[in-house]
Amino acid sequence: MTISETTAPVAPPGEVTQVVEHFFRHEAGKIISTLTRIFGIEHLNRAEDVVQETLARALQTWPYYGIPRNPSAWITQVAKNLALDLIRRDRVFRNKEAEIAHLMEQVSEDATDEGSTTAENQIKDDRLRMMFTCCHSLIPQEMQVALALKTLCGFSPGEIARAFLTSEAAIAKRLTRAKQKIRDARIAFEIPTGEELTRRLDGVLQTLYLLFNEGYKASGGEHLIRAELCHEAIRLTALVAEHPAGNQPRSHALLALMLLNGARLPARVDAEGNILRLEEQNRSQWDQSLIARGFYHLLQSTAGDEASEYHLQAAITACHCAAQDYESTDWPRILGLYDRLIEIDDSPVVALNRAVAVAAVHGPRTGIEAIEAIHKRDQLSSYYLLYATLGEFEMRLDNREAAANYFRQALELVTIESEQTFLTKKLRELENCQKIGRTQAAR
Amino acid sequence: MSAPTKSEYILLFRGTDWHKGLSPEEIQEVVKQMYAWLDRLTAEGKAKVGKPLFPEGKVVSQKKGRSVADGPFAESKEAIGGFFLLEVSSLDEAAEIAKDFPGLNYGASVEVRPVAPECPLALSPSNTQPARASA
Repeated sequence: MTISETTAPVAPPGEVTQVVEHFFRHEAGKIISTLTRIFGIEHLNRAEDVVQETLARALQTWPYYGIPRNPSAWITQVAKNLALDLIRRDRVFRNKEAEIAHLMEQVSEDATDEGSTTAENQIKDDRLRMMFTCCHSLIPQEMQVALALKTLCGFSPGEIARAFLTSEAAIAKRLTRAKQKIRDARIAFEIPTGEELTRRLDGVLQTLYLLFNEGYKASGGEHLIRAELCHEAIRLTALVAEHPAGNQPRSHALLALMLLNGARLPARVDAEGNILRLEEQNRSQWDQSLIARGFYHLLQSTAGDEASEYHLQAAITACHCAAQDYESTDWPRILGLYDRLIEIDDSPVVALNRAVAVAAVHGPRTGIEAIEAIHKRDQLSSYYLLYATLGEFEMRLDNREAAANYFRQALELVTIESEQTFLTKKLRELENCQKIGRTQAAR
Repeated sequence: MSAPTKSEYILLFRGTDWHKGLSPEEIQEVVKQMYAWLDRLTAEGKAKVGKPLFPEGKVVSQKKGRSVADGPFAESKEAIGGFFLLEVSSLDEAAEIAKDFPGLNYGASVEVRPVAPECPLALSPSNTQPARASA
């Protein structure tokens, strides 16, 4: 990685020629935020163009000269130069040229150097500003997520489209509308304070939760890119939780919830990409460093007397992460947490998950009763997991006919291949059991 | 140093805006592929020197370059994004190497040309060296 610009035009053989994973993407996110502060939020597109051009310059020169000693500083420097060029050329900056140039000069090229914590804090502030802007309640939530991925995580519309199983054109439209909304509503590029901060922070956390969920749930889209959504959500939430403006117990709870769930991602599918249930997962594949970070933030989240839905969900996940094996899962404790969660969040999905805990503690019969008692159960009528769960309970009660019917219903509703494989496998097991049962009866 | 049978070929990478539509992640991927490609050629002793060329430039026309036209080269998509000097046995071998240029998958193109063994003009005593970049 240490090739001087002129003496070694081509990287020597065997030289380490790697930059950190997602480096370009994350650098893009940093610089777009800083340039947006300097240019003004109404020129977000111009900030994005400058960054794109900067990365293109890296592509044009790095392969010949080698990776600069400090890639991040190189990128910042080139972005500054290109930005200064732009404000000289572009009419919209005519009267602000001097002011913008002055702000630009203050951007430090090297925030990684010791003693430049001010510069580093400035970059973090800029990203927080971007987060509060993207996650403003006046922007519809699906647009918020797309905009955050574009501006803060450096995703292209095509990559966002792949993650959300939609077209690039649809995402491009979403992004344009979101930017229009920012202009029309004159959303300021700033970190709110006082009462407003509390309210707006909730919006930011909600959007980050949604972003994580999009990646975590198996609702389609490419597997790899969905895992990246989870990691981006973790990265951004960490940024919020560690920033003075966002350092609240519920921010840490949300981060803990993401880390503890994210830790189990590698074990959730088998080699063929089929979904594995909690009891089938190889726990040695759970990412222990994420679990450790998760428990650390869970501890941080207990600093106040607040118990948000994020706290409860994080605590539930923590129970799973703390169990050595499936058999030692503390189900009574999990059920207790669900009982509290359902008081805050009466979503039928939460109630369905609670029913699983009920069944684990009191048996499948009580589990079925819990499902039957779900308030707003009709909202689940097209939710395949309702039938998959019922099928599972019936199977444990040895009601094979009923179980098979539920699995068939679930299979009709499910669209993802790995889920289909899983359900088909279950169904086949049942049918085999029935055949054996019948043959035995015939004898 | 070079084997007597080897000669020099220049690869000209045409197209300066082929990467405009790439996402940061894709740009990083192309950079990675470029490194792998160049590393391999260097390790095999086939690569000598390479330089990028920026799209900005001026067209000099008419005798003795008296008239200088402002602006980019004829058409930016035709412009040269960089060049690379190879030392290999044949034009075919050079062309094979060019086919692996990672930018090809993203819309760039490569031109392969043999480098004349000596500068035929030998312009002035102070400039007897062939006009080529030195490694």
